[in-house]
Amino acid sequence: MSEKNREGKRTARERLKAQQAVDDARSKRKKQLAVGGVVLAVIAAAVVVGVVVQNQRSKPDTPTAAPAGTIGDKNLVIPVGAADAPSVLTVYEDPRCPACGAFEREFSPTIDQLQDQGKLVVHSHIVSFIDRSLGGKGSKTAANALGCAQTAGRFRDYHDVLYRNQPDETSDAFGDKKTLLDLAKQVPGLSTPAFESCVNDGTYAGWVSAVQQDFDKSSFKSTPTLLLNGEPIYPKKGDEQISPDNLVKWVNEANQGKKLGATGSNGQSPAPSSTAAESNTPPSP
Amino acid sequence: MASQQTVQAHRPGALRRVVQGPASEWIGLAVRLGLALVWGWAGLAKISDPAEAAQAVRAYEILPESLVKPIGYGLPFLELALALLLLIGLGTRIVAVVSAALLLTFIAGITSAWARGISIDCGCFGGGGAVDASKTEYLQEILRDTGFLLLAAWLIARPRTRLSVDSWLAS
Repeated sequence: MSEKNREGKRTARERLKAQQAVDDARSKRKKQLAVGGVVLAVIAAAVVVGVVVQNQRSKPDTPTAAPAGTIGDKNLVIPVGAADAPSVLTVYEDPRCPACGAFEREFSPTIDQLQDQGKLVVHSHIVSFIDRSLGGKGSKTAANALGCAQTAGRFRDYHDVLYRNQPDETSDAFGDKKTLLDLAKQVPGLSTPAFESCVNDGTYAGWVSAVQQDFDKSSFKSTPTLLLNGEPIYPKKGDEQISPDNLVKWVNEANQGKKLGATGSNGQSPAPSSTAAESNTPPSP
Repeated sequence: MASQQTVQAHRPGALRRVVQGPASEWIGLAVRLGLALVWGWAGLAKISDPAEAAQAVRAYEILPESLVKPIGYGLPFLELALALLLLIGLGTRIVAVVSAALLLTFIAGITSAWARGISIDCGCFGGGGAVDASKTEYLQEILRDTGFLLLAAWLIARPRTRLSVDSWLAS
């Protein structure tokens, strides 16, 4: 075989090879483009579907059903005490929050007294974010039960019972509705079929979510957050540490020269709605 | 062919043989499934409570309120889409690039929160929102995401993996 012939064969083979390489590269690029298109389409579709689905699943900022007697523009706030009391103590609390429990156990006799003297009305925001960080649903179910107690006109007493029996923060005992219903038996007049079904059905779940979303959008980041007439007082008001005595002092200072509200309301908010009327009978002695 | 020459020229050590040899596609499979697990877990953990997911985004105090919900609602589904694509091994390199970009965004967000002195949980695997200053774990969160970033980097460098749709399409 001559050198020339061999040369020619080789170049032909190489040309063919080169052509094949070009073709391969082109089809490979086509394939890659197609795969890239599919991948981006899958991602885009997932995100769009996700936003739509989650939008439908999320509970509205404005609840459809709120406990009786709640106030504020979306009925997110539970008032305790005379509505015309000169001082307002705004409280953001989570039923599972240990610091809230410690605060309530130490301060509730003082606060009850200030309420009953017509000096103070508490505006309670029952938030429920501890479930998020620690898991479980005790914050939410307890917040719903507190809403049910509010409708029954027994909020203050049930609130006290819950905090006196507050489980360890990491325990989700309040997530068990039976625990909440058992504790309700300690509040005279609260254990009614209406209250039980309200707790079991999660009647105010949407309201609980709305209260939490309102807290999410606020500038407050922890519980308890306490504001006396809009000014933060927990853990300190200015340089003064909060204590039952200081709280009384601060309220009296703020109330100077102001007319006191109705007294002896026992802090129980009236339950004006007709659905609550039947369960609003006076506690049996 | 070029790589064959390099291999001969360098007299490969054990590590190089693992990284470049046929075993690398099996390692790639493990890396791919590992990253799929991370995204799947992260996505599922954020899906159950939309308000919580939105709050995790809001807590970074970076995005305007109008973007908080779209990001909070969409992000878990983006993560699940990445998990699914990695699981079947389709478009591994592109998915790895998107993964790396997302992880870099997360690391930047956590670093920013740390630098500004705000106290939040990263909300990486559910949860999120403000936490007590003593309960922040910024360094661990950044290191963890950096580990995931290495997985993505491997797949960007070596997107060919065993048992993948990519390799089935290429054959």
